[in-house]
Amino acid sequence: MQKRNFKILDQVDVQVGQGEILAIIGPNGAGKSSLLSMLANEQSAEGEILFKGKKFERWNGRELAHYKAKFSQEFNADIGLSVSEIVLMGRYPYFDSKPKAKDFEVVENTMKLTDIFSLKNRTYNSLSGGEKQRVHLARVLSQLQNDFSEKLIFLDEPLNNLDVKHQRRILELIREFVQQGNSAVLVLHDLSLAAEFADKMLLLKKGKVVAQGETRKIFRPEFISAAFDFPCHIFKNPYNSHPLVVFGERVSE
Amino acid sequence: MHNKPGIYIIGGFITLFFLGLLSLLIGVYQFESESFIGMVKNGIIGEDTGDNSDWYVFSQIRLPRVVMAMLMGSALAVSGAAMQGMFKNPLATPSLIGVTSGASLFAAIAIVLGNYMLQLLPDFLHELLISLMAFIGAILTMTFVYRMSTTQRKTNVVVMLLAGVAISAMAGAITGFLIYLTDEEELRNLTFWTLGSLGGATWVKNLILALVIGFSYLFLINKGKALNAMMLGEQDAAHLGIPVEKVKKQIVVLTALMVGTCVAFAGAIGFVGLIIPYILRLIFGSNYYMILPLSAVAGSILLLSADTFSRTIVAPSEMPIGVITAFLGAPVFVAILIRYKKSL
Repeated sequence: MQKRNFKILDQVDVQVGQGEILAIIGPNGAGKSSLLSMLANEQSAEGEILFKGKKFERWNGRELAHYKAKFSQEFNADIGLSVSEIVLMGRYPYFDSKPKAKDFEVVENTMKLTDIFSLKNRTYNSLSGGEKQRVHLARVLSQLQNDFSEKLIFLDEPLNNLDVKHQRRILELIREFVQQGNSAVLVLHDLSLAAEFADKMLLLKKGKVVAQGETRKIFRPEFISAAFDFPCHIFKNPYNSHPLVVFGERVSE
Repeated sequence: MHNKPGIYIIGGFITLFFLGLLSLLIGVYQFESESFIGMVKNGIIGEDTGDNSDWYVFSQIRLPRVVMAMLMGSALAVSGAAMQGMFKNPLATPSLIGVTSGASLFAAIAIVLGNYMLQLLPDFLHELLISLMAFIGAILTMTFVYRMSTTQRKTNVVVMLLAGVAISAMAGAITGFLIYLTDEEELRNLTFWTLGSLGGATWVKNLILALVIGFSYLFLINKGKALNAMMLGEQDAAHLGIPVEKVKKQIVVLTALMVGTCVAFAGAIGFVGLIIPYILRLIFGSNYYMILPLSAVAGSILLLSADTFSRTIVAPSEMPIGVITAFLGAPVFVAILIRYKKSL
């Protein structure tokens, strides 16, 4: 299996393989977003970031956009376009001035998957926070809809503002994407969801790695408590046997 | 889902054509020839019609002026739209952020300093030098204002507009000083530099304008996708494969080139770059894929109408064209303020 290597200042050394979801977790200010931003080539980092064995600078920008996409945590609140026009931006790397039939097809499809198809003609500015979030997710997902393999998606807190149903929906879409031979790197706040969906975890605290590796090895009370400075306990969810984290001291009745 | 600009552009050109014809026919001077078409026909094939003043007014005064109005209106509207995309703000226009004043100042300096030297140059080079200086003034101010007011995601509108006010004040003061210092006739006209006029239209100027505009549009008109994506934020645009820095550089250089040339030849005609994109946004949303090409046609229509109006409303005198564009533009300015009050 081909691996992609990331190295930042020798302190963080991450690898994401094909078919894997890596979740970056940690308390506020741990540097999760910065790490993601460096990995996605937004900020320059000392050291080397290789994607498919090639440095980002050596890629052609438009070609790279076929393989790599990023969902940012902060998005512009005021964009005077319709929902479908914004989702269509995800197809910009694929056409010059006129979108092709395939582009419209992908846009329609991802809008349905992210449950915003009924909003397609609404203006973006009239949407709620969670709806806007889904519009950008649809845009990012439609960007990587192609026949290429070994694609990489970065998502910075993709579940913000989303209700329970849509949180799971989005994570399932990401899992599907990854199962087609791609990779995903996510920053997540909901630890139980992270544990359920991520294959690997990177636990960050104040810019340093507390622990990283396969989820079942990392998702343990000692690591989580140390990272978050808060006592915690991990149970097995009786319904689906996924790990479930609960924070706080045990209080006797 | 995806509007096509083509049909609107064709409609715009047809409107423009008839407006142009109308504008050629009306004016202080009344053509004496019995048939306008006959006069033009005779003029072109070089036959002596017995009345050469008709042909002269048509070919050397009215037609160049109509053409210049079309070219400049188009250039100013497209410059405004492109700048608004780059600044991510509907108030970014050449006149409001001081680019026009910067260009005026440098054009005035060129006229004063080149007082003697310029006289010796052939017409074409003379005009070219002045427009080149205006271009330098425009690019300096634009770079300055952009650096001061813009960060990654958003433009600080207050800084942008106040920087424009400061630059306009400074450049205006120096230009005014030069105007009263010199007895150079080309510069003596303060109204020209503050409100603009298309009265000085010649074929040489039109040729330079056409070259500048043609070159700029080659790169600017198809920037719709890039400017749309930049509304997301520049980093997100880069993730979509848009070469953001390159696009911004092209916009700065090419809009400065167009605005500089317009200012050098017709003074400071304000608000065209504000009015046209605003109206287009009302109809098509902020989709630059539509706004950029349509601005090119709509700007021509606006400025040609304004110029025709300005030279007929107080005939035989002429009203400065900037009076009319400001009359239309100021309410648009207020409308933008009200509409974007929260997000500016």
